[in-house]
Amino acid sequence: MTRRGPLVTLSAVIVLAAIFLWANTLTAKPGSAAAPTAATSAGSTSPWETAAPSASAAATSGASTSAGNTVHALYAGRSSGDEVTVAIAINGGKAAADLNAGLASEVSMQGSVSGDEVTMATKNGIGLEGYLSGQNMFGTITGFLGQSFPFSAEQAVVEAVYSGRSAGNQVTLAVVTDGGKATGYVCNGKNVEAWLQGSVNGNQVTLTGNNGAGLTGTLSGVAMFGTVSPGGGLSFPFSAELSPHPAGVYQARITVDSLATRIGWAVLPDGTQVGVAVTGQKKYAAPPLDLSNDSFTLGGSSHTASDVTGNQTVVSP
Amino acid sequence: MTTQPVAVAPPRDQWAKPLLVAVLGGCAFALALGLYARLHHPATYALDVAGFSSPLYAKAWLTTAAVVFAAVQVVTSYWISRQPANPAPAWMAAVHRWSGRLAILLTVPVIVHCIYSLGFQTYSARVYAHCVLGCIFYGAFVAKMLSLVRRDTMPRWVLPVLGGVVFASLIALWATSALWLFATRGVHS
Repeated sequence: MTRRGPLVTLSAVIVLAAIFLWANTLTAKPGSAAAPTAATSAGSTSPWETAAPSASAAATSGASTSAGNTVHALYAGRSSGDEVTVAIAINGGKAAADLNAGLASEVSMQGSVSGDEVTMATKNGIGLEGYLSGQNMFGTITGFLGQSFPFSAEQAVVEAVYSGRSAGNQVTLAVVTDGGKATGYVCNGKNVEAWLQGSVNGNQVTLTGNNGAGLTGTLSGVAMFGTVSPGGGLSFPFSAELSPHPAGVYQARITVDSLATRIGWAVLPDGTQVGVAVTGQKKYAAPPLDLSNDSFTLGGSSHTASDVTGNQTVVSP
Repeated sequence: MTTQPVAVAPPRDQWAKPLLVAVLGGCAFALALGLYARLHHPATYALDVAGFSSPLYAKAWLTTAAVVFAAVQVVTSYWISRQPANPAPAWMAAVHRWSGRLAILLTVPVIVHCIYSLGFQTYSARVYAHCVLGCIFYGAFVAKMLSLVRRDTMPRWVLPVLGGVVFASLIALWATSALWLFATRGVHS
């Protein structure tokens, strides 16, 4: 005799499991059930001490995450039970993470990214496995406080400054990124200068300026390599590095002897500043910039320069 | 008109094929669970049940409730398997079935979360054992259900063995998860 009761029970179990799985696909969307928030406080500590001693520059963003593209981004989020906050920085093929469970148990991890899979570990058995999906990262932290925690994290947009010199030291440059946008300034401190503006796409930086000026660069780890052209047919290979304050691009627009003057400075992390002032057609060395208060003196009077951000318009068509 | 006796000893080996189907079905299910848990990307899934401090505790208490119902099932299994000379009341079989159904249904949200969000992890002995036992538990459950379909032709030892595996693996699952959680992080909701 064939009994149907057990089959009913079995089917009920399978149907219930299917319902829960379907409900899961509704909740496991980016930004929902696990409530990722930008844990910026967690993001400003250990893994980036070597790269950016100040909290202002951590990583660029505007990353595209289709498999095969290199990703540069900062992800911040939480475990699904809200026990652990997670901050993960990805630069090219390298990744670093900071886990914080708020019980004075903070862990720094390092690892790698391959395609859209992120793998990190510490020496004492804590692991993090994640995968990138759109603007999010999902994964599991294992062996932390003796347990595993599923987590999700969202891309956090951060400003970053890359500064450096051309290979033959002909020009100095600084590039400021803000999300997918970027601005830059390149000059030789005497009579060659150009303002640049453009975008960051994955690990590709593309900026353009007037008179054929431009910059193309590739982000790799905390470095940027590429070619910069300050216009006028000149072109130099360059390298730049993710830089903390006071590195950056500074700008001032003033009048000197009733003539409109625009001054730009590229500042390196050690405080070295290279700048050019332009009055009409005349280009000359910029006055020194007091980095403690962004002030400078020109034409007998004191003025203030401003920090240039990545989403400013610095190139007028 | 002749009437057949109610219980006829089946020809030898008539139960073999249904039993094989039941056991192989259970094994296939266990294997499928394990493979899926291992191979898919763990993803977030918040088992936010109101009244519990965290999804971990919600799962631990659901599993504990399932163990209680499973204990009821094991006790009633003893009573209903006694010899016909001293049979148990008819309602006890109903209690046995329904306690079992409740127990397994309570574990379903737990295992869906475990497999989907955490996957098959091997980073510690406790976790490794838990993952293996999870596959065994559901495989044994499927085998038990399939063997019950042809209960009357099965040898007497099949049901106690499969039921025993189901119960023992559930207790071990509970010990490697809920008991461990209560022991390390306290017994609370």
